[in-house]
Amino acid sequence: MTAYVIRRIWQMIPTILGVILLIFILFNWVGGDPAQVLAGKISNPDQIANIRKQLGVDQPYWYQLWVFVKQVFTFDFGRSWSTNELVSHIILTRVGPTLTVMLPCLAITSTLAVLFAVMVAYVRGTVTDRGIMIVCTVAMSVSFLVYIIVFQWLFGFVLGWFPVQGWSESFWKNLTYYAPLPIMLAVFVGLAPELRLYRSFFLDEINQDYVRTARAKGVPEKKVMLKHVMRNALIPILTNLAILLPGIFVGSFLLEVFFSIPGLGREVVTAVNRSDFPVIKAVTVYLAIITMIINLLVDVLYKLVDPRVSFK
Amino acid sequence: MADAQRKVLRVAFRAAETGFDPQRIFDRYSVGICENIYETLVSYDYLARPVKLVPLAAEAVPEPEEGGTRYTFRIKPGIYYSDDPVFHGHRRELVAADVEYAIKRFRDPKLRSPYEWLFEHNILGLDELAERAKKEGKFDYDTKIPGIEVRGKYVVSFKLKEPNFNFLYFMAMPNVVPVAREVIEAYDADTMAHPVGTGPYVLKEWVRRSKIVLERNPNYRGFELETRYADMADEWDRRAVEALAGKRLPLIDRIEIYPIEDEQPRFLAFLNHEHDILDELPFQFINQVMPNGKLAPQLAAQGVRVFPELQPEITYDVFNMDAKTNDGAENPVGGYTPERVALRRAMVLAHDRNQEIYIVRKGQAIAAQSPVPPGVVGYDPDFRSNAQDPDPPRAKALLDMFGYVDRDGDGWRDTPDGRALTVHYKYNLGGQEQRELAELWVKCLAEVGIRAEAVAVQFADLINDKRVGKFQLAGSAWIADYPDAQNFLQLLYGPNTEQSNEARFKLPEYDRLYEKSLTVPDGEERNRLYREMTRLVFAYAPWRLGVTRRFNHLQYPWVKAYKKHPILYTNYKWLDIDVAAQQAAMK
Repeated sequence: MTAYVIRRIWQMIPTILGVILLIFILFNWVGGDPAQVLAGKISNPDQIANIRKQLGVDQPYWYQLWVFVKQVFTFDFGRSWSTNELVSHIILTRVGPTLTVMLPCLAITSTLAVLFAVMVAYVRGTVTDRGIMIVCTVAMSVSFLVYIIVFQWLFGFVLGWFPVQGWSESFWKNLTYYAPLPIMLAVFVGLAPELRLYRSFFLDEINQDYVRTARAKGVPEKKVMLKHVMRNALIPILTNLAILLPGIFVGSFLLEVFFSIPGLGREVVTAVNRSDFPVIKAVTVYLAIITMIINLLVDVLYKLVDPRVSFK
Repeated sequence: MADAQRKVLRVAFRAAETGFDPQRIFDRYSVGICENIYETLVSYDYLARPVKLVPLAAEAVPEPEEGGTRYTFRIKPGIYYSDDPVFHGHRRELVAADVEYAIKRFRDPKLRSPYEWLFEHNILGLDELAERAKKEGKFDYDTKIPGIEVRGKYVVSFKLKEPNFNFLYFMAMPNVVPVAREVIEAYDADTMAHPVGTGPYVLKEWVRRSKIVLERNPNYRGFELETRYADMADEWDRRAVEALAGKRLPLIDRIEIYPIEDEQPRFLAFLNHEHDILDELPFQFINQVMPNGKLAPQLAAQGVRVFPELQPEITYDVFNMDAKTNDGAENPVGGYTPERVALRRAMVLAHDRNQEIYIVRKGQAIAAQSPVPPGVVGYDPDFRSNAQDPDPPRAKALLDMFGYVDRDGDGWRDTPDGRALTVHYKYNLGGQEQRELAELWVKCLAEVGIRAEAVAVQFADLINDKRVGKFQLAGSAWIADYPDAQNFLQLLYGPNTEQSNEARFKLPEYDRLYEKSLTVPDGEERNRLYREMTRLVFAYAPWRLGVTRRFNHLQYPWVKAYKKHPILYTNYKWLDIDVAAQQAAMK
């Protein structure tokens, strides 16, 4: 296994270089000139040229790319072009609020989705199954933005069960007071598609020969579902979680904007609007690295879930 | 003081701040915070309308000397900066050298100040110093220049190259504040996070883009409301005078500011009593808050007050006046020939500004009558022209007269020489309002037979394209930096092309009048020059004048002495809070 992990880590280097190149090309082609945004209301070509010089965007492309590569491997992305804040400080301070919302959201959504998926797969074809599927389809058809607007107005303002918006310095206050409504919203929105997906995973397994054999041998239905079906369905579920997991580190821009959560999603969108390349670079590269690490961990986890998988 | 008795004001900003180094920032929210932490030498009276300059850190508003080329300020002795570790426990007094240092900072290339233009081509010797800094890579703050004379501890005198009767307005801008050199040098790269000023408040807490807390500056000397310019027939002035009579300001102990970018949470937070003031009520909620122009009963019952404000700003659409765009393409709307002028004027007449006001802007705007909006010196309330009023029949007649007719039978007008005519309107990809305005242009031009296409581009690209002339027609807006018509009319001054003159309008007659207006102090002679310039704008139509927006500011009744200032973004230091009423509402 060690050799496998080392090989995979080694393979990450060309992937990171590819990500660097892609971000660099995208920024220089479609990102717009940051000097124009930073120049203020009145500026002349000399001032624009001076800003470009100060930012280093007047250097040849190969040199800018080399600086970018150095930044990635030294984890030093310098300072934000718009606020002068250290990029490392931006990431460290914004990732906390994002995880405070997104981690419980992923845990609750996934747990509920797996549980409900097992249950509806168990009663497949019944009115309950069909009813839940219709509700899921309808729930998926409504825009996330509409949910946010309605939930915030209803639960925050009309009923007063939660604060309309806000964030504090206390982790517990955030988790118990400010985060519940955004978490509830994200769970509500995320549950329907995941439930439908996991149900299909369970139904695929239920129709396998080994399940029929277990039933023929007289294994009780609950044991069939929880021991045999569940374990095999976990492999595609793990894959799906691996896809979702990196997303929790950048959060939901809409949730963060509507609930005034000082998270990374809001920061990234602001950075894009301000052509703040150091922040965009750092967050994108860091997300790519997290995605690769999570994929590696999930591949290792496959072995634990399914003994048939080998590290070759 | 017990927490329960502390006067705490809670407000929201519509966008996130960037930082608090006054010479490095330009967004109005960061500048608004600086208004409370720093002090300009001169500022604006709270109640006077039209606005009036009054001394702040200076002893008096200086009179222009030497034909408007010299301004001498005497700083009030005994003004102290707020405490900071940099001062090693000593009180640090504000001195004239701090003003000199701050002004030089605007020209330091390393700072890339967005307000560098304020002190470009005016203070004697400063341009040369800035040029030298560009060459040598370091700004020499110790070199003395003839344009800034520090005379002793408290006097600083500026000598300008040319007369400039708006220089005092420059000195009233919240960015143009003295700073202590040792503070700037000590915090160096992180000056955005360490504001140290002489103003009424200090930065107590800052969670970037989430929460800004200001608290009273214990070193602040305090002041009393100036009532000399109050209009007691005005209910806002009367209430302010009554609420603050005999009181030493500021009265608010703590100000909590929350940047909330989206409109709904900002609005709901106010309705929920989480905030005391709602600045700039979002247009989308106007019918809920003010159905038929009257405050909704449930808000009226709570004593909510609405301060309506026409901001000193205008929106406008810019025609690129060059015959070719920056990328070498033919520009059908550019040029000064009679048929090009006629085309632009016809397009202006074709545009239905009423739809813009009542549909896009929900009735919260008035039609601009000149490039100079209400509320600034030089605005003429009696000036009216029908050159920019919607009139499609006139537009059609004008187009027919100058040969813009459909020659190939495709239903669209062609140019007088028979080529197909398509006008491109560029707008910001990210804005819903901008998209609606673009659609309105396409629709209005189609009604008079002109084919138009709306082209959405990234915000940064739009700024660049407008600056270098890579567009035909595009939307724009300008809010007053200082309350004088010159701040608006410079937008069409020929030499400002590639800077603020997005239309690339180069008319010798206009430039001559503009240059002359700079040498004339405020008065009838200057107003006459402004009117002449406005007439030229109507005649050549480098702009379609848009609107001046009306903003409504809401406050709960426990906020006392509220009045929105047209130039200053915040008014916290003049406000008071009825703590008992505030806390009762929060229960």
